[in-house]
Amino acid sequence: MTPLLFVKLLRDLRTIWDRIVLMILAMSVTLIVFSGVFYTRGIIGREMPRAYLSTDPASATILFKRGLDADQMEAIAAEARRQPGIIDAAVRTQLTLQVQQEGGGWGPYPLQIFVAAPDDPMRIETFTVEQGSWPPAAGEILIDRSSFDLLNLKIGEAVVVQAPNGAPSSLRISGVVYDPALAPSFQEQKGHGFMSAASLRVLGESVALDALKIQVADQPGLTVPSRNRDVIVAAARDLAGWLQPTYGVAVLEIQIPTPYAHPHQAQADSLLLGLLVFGAAGLLLSAILVASMLNGLFTQQIPQIGMMKAIGARSSRVLQLYLLMTLVIAVASTALAILPGILISRAFAPAILDLLGVDAESLAAPAWMYGVVLAAGIGVPPLFSLAPIFQISGTTVREALDYRGVESHRDSTTRFGIWFSQLRGLNRIVLLAFRNIFRRRARFLLSVGLLASAGAVFVAGMSTMAGLQASLVRERELRLWDVDVQLGGIDQTSAVALTSLAAEIPDVTRVEAWSIVKTSVIPPGQQFSVTRTYPDQGHGSIAVTVIPPDSSLVAPPLVLQGRWLRPDELGAVVISQAALTSDLPGVQIADTIQLSIGGRFTSWLVLGIVDPVDHGGGIFVTEAAFEAATGVSRPNLLRIVTDNHDEETRTAVAQAAESVLTDAGIVVRSAASVSRSEAARAGHMLPLILVFLGLSIAMGVVGFAGLASTMSTNVLERTREFGVMSAIGAPASTVRRLVVLEGIFTAVVSCLIAGIPVPLLTAMMIDYLPMSGIFRISIPGVVMWVVVVVVGAALAALAPASQASRLTVREALAYL
Amino acid sequence: MNRSHSHESTLTRQAKADRSAGRALSPSEPMIDLRQVVKTYESSSQPFTALRGVSLQVQGGEFVAVVGKSGSGKTTLLNLLAGIDRPTSGAVSVAGTQLHSLSESQLAEWRGRTIGLVFQFFQLLPTLTVAENVMLPMDFAGIIPGAERRSRALDLLDRVAIRDQADKLPVTLSGGEQQRAAIARALANDPPILMADEPTGNLDEATRRSVLELFAKLNAEGRTVVVVTHERDISRYTDQQVTLVDGRVADEAER
Repeated sequence: MTPLLFVKLLRDLRTIWDRIVLMILAMSVTLIVFSGVFYTRGIIGREMPRAYLSTDPASATILFKRGLDADQMEAIAAEARRQPGIIDAAVRTQLTLQVQQEGGGWGPYPLQIFVAAPDDPMRIETFTVEQGSWPPAAGEILIDRSSFDLLNLKIGEAVVVQAPNGAPSSLRISGVVYDPALAPSFQEQKGHGFMSAASLRVLGESVALDALKIQVADQPGLTVPSRNRDVIVAAARDLAGWLQPTYGVAVLEIQIPTPYAHPHQAQADSLLLGLLVFGAAGLLLSAILVASMLNGLFTQQIPQIGMMKAIGARSSRVLQLYLLMTLVIAVASTALAILPGILISRAFAPAILDLLGVDAESLAAPAWMYGVVLAAGIGVPPLFSLAPIFQISGTTVREALDYRGVESHRDSTTRFGIWFSQLRGLNRIVLLAFRNIFRRRARFLLSVGLLASAGAVFVAGMSTMAGLQASLVRERELRLWDVDVQLGGIDQTSAVALTSLAAEIPDVTRVEAWSIVKTSVIPPGQQFSVTRTYPDQGHGSIAVTVIPPDSSLVAPPLVLQGRWLRPDELGAVVISQAALTSDLPGVQIADTIQLSIGGRFTSWLVLGIVDPVDHGGGIFVTEAAFEAATGVSRPNLLRIVTDNHDEETRTAVAQAAESVLTDAGIVVRSAASVSRSEAARAGHMLPLILVFLGLSIAMGVVGFAGLASTMSTNVLERTREFGVMSAIGAPASTVRRLVVLEGIFTAVVSCLIAGIPVPLLTAMMIDYLPMSGIFRISIPGVVMWVVVVVVGAALAALAPASQASRLTVREALAYL
Repeated sequence: MNRSHSHESTLTRQAKADRSAGRALSPSEPMIDLRQVVKTYESSSQPFTALRGVSLQVQGGEFVAVVGKSGSGKTTLLNLLAGIDRPTSGAVSVAGTQLHSLSESQLAEWRGRTIGLVFQFFQLLPTLTVAENVMLPMDFAGIIPGAERRSRALDLLDRVAIRDQADKLPVTLSGGEQQRAAIARALANDPPILMADEPTGNLDEATRRSVLELFAKLNAEGRTVVVVTHERDISRYTDQQVTLVDGRVADEAER
């Protein structure tokens, strides 16, 4: 690079500073989006496992049918620790309490209590006590910090609770716990508490522990828990098989969640994937943007390149000049993007982690990520501009002298333009504008590609949200009742008695007695069922939904394979796709599966596979089939329809039902409006919706910035042409209208192109979500994008169009 | 030409450069030698032949005008001489260099050392000052030492009588001044040949005359000058006039 070329570079940059600024800003926006989501991904990807693993999660939980006293269980744990491959063992139990509301009556939200012996060393499934101390005294309880708002609790106060087998009793809230292994209460619509086994007596429950928690190593002698679930399954089965005869205990099931994975890991993975897709899309847009804008800039300099070559410049000197120009822009835009990218990640990552119930230890992205962003910011623009730079550097003097801003050869696009221009009744300026957009075909394709990419991501993001919303609506449509009443246990009272009691409640129009019972799959030839259930007993678990024969509240879900149940079908099940994937991989229609229900082994024929539904378990059976298989005929769930479906009526009926049933001596675990489960589901969706919405908007901004810059380049490149138009009598308004129409036509074509990848991208996003979504193309999203891009194109073209229309003929013709 | 000592040494180096670009010319050898040159342009409709077997010899130090109607092939001929275009067939030798043997980059380098080009629309780089425009070919060729380039540029601008415009941007100059600046730029590396394509086509009558006189003066100093022009009275200045008709030299065309 000669000193004069460097001077030329600086002055060129100064001359076109407005476009350079636009270019740098557009690239910065892209880089900010990319680096922001990239850093966020790094922070979440590190903090979530770190927080989860800080609780020393158990590899497996062996659940006994009956609890034993703490001493007996501790003896078992001590023996378990001596078994090969077992790193450590602990004994625990848990139960779910009802919480009395202020002013009396049981609240809608259950309180799940995790119980450990007072002398438990707390090496497995630990938590952080933020206020108070562990273990709390008898009659005291520590509450998870995310549960206070949901349950309307305050530290230091007493809370009246009722255990399944006890009477109402009072517990003092003595502290606050942070447990990142649990999903936040607002998402689960369930509170979490922690107390010592000494308090069980206060609740009226027997002081017994029924869960043996173990950590399993890959090999004997190792102290790091295994990441291999198969190893854990084998070790837990061996241990359970040894414990059963040795200690005379009966094993109910073995719970082995995915090793090293937070219960919301799937949700987080989906988030991370979403972030990664958007980050990659941002990078792609950035590359297209850079190539498009620089290509325009270089093209404008073709006459100057020709002249430099005419006076002795080699291609390599020209290449150096434009490579340096690209680097200047890349470095400037990267410098501008660094801080905002970091700030965005530091605002975005905690917000998502908060939704997932995890505290960040550090908000610094991994160091290598800064390197990647710097490399991407500085390296990607020159990399993607290499082709135009090489192409432009190779321009011959002859090509430069002949350059008029129009490609010389004809092709089908031009022929289409000519055909179009022959249509009668169209305004001449409109025709000219339409033909002009095809003149620089490479630039046109890049501009259209850029806008179409942004549009596709925006509309796909909006469509994904629409799909999730539609899924919620469908859930609502399938849920034909208003109040769920969960009974304390199964087989308490007959369905007839229960429905008769509830039917007397004012505003109730229909009552059905259902059952939803936890189950687990027993692989053929195995002694124990192994589930993927997490310690909260919710995540990873599956349940059997028992449908009453005369039910009018079940709208059969979408059948994917096979068929739905007939009213009195015996020995057969229908399985949801989600349960099939997680717990019954490889099972097909007409296969036979074994389920453990209440400790009883049962066999079932698979009749059908259905779309996942959220208001039931993953496996559906008829009441007759359930009774035949388990001998249990009494339900554990009432579904009540109210005459008005407003929240006030639902809540009043729920409270009345609980009161009526309790007065009749029936243990009620919870009675609540169905809105609660909708809120739980919405809680799960919220982070995803926020991510898609925020990033879709950012993509739209990037596309708009790219269009503005491209239009500016297009206009400047044709300065001479506008001079000629003025010379032959075109008024300024005509020049302006011509340019604005070109921008609008480009935008319209990009909208048509964007329609191609949108369905695929939307289907991909929906497929990767942990919740079921319905494929939808968001019409508001399409309309919004079309309006934004067309208005944006007109606005983007307006400034350069005005500039072009003000040029004098002499200025225009002298332009080089 | 009043050259300083440093410029003498510059010319010595240039002579070496000329030899490296092609072989040294013998006194009887023409500076420009075209033999049966045909140039056909391919187009989507049908091929167009701009030059049809043109042969031409120009001796060193001659002032040659290429004249003819629009479309007769004048500019094509000049482009071939400057290595801007390549012939479809035939041979082009300029200053002892067979141009077909050079790549595009070699041609650019050769042009920078051997040819001074002047265009109808001046083609000065808009973001460089007039002096910087003149210094740019020196930067590319690297013949003139960096420390001498500005003073040489000012000398050249002095010769074309626009030294006082040296630090202005081209857009602030009149058409005649811009053309003078373009001529000064063409002289930057003291090339043995000057080529100009319609150098007066965009100038008023008085400026036109002064520009042609400048070319004549440069020719009188020993440079070979080839000018493509429509000027009717160009013969007052030239040694040889080549008239092109439909891609042929006139006398051949008439045969």
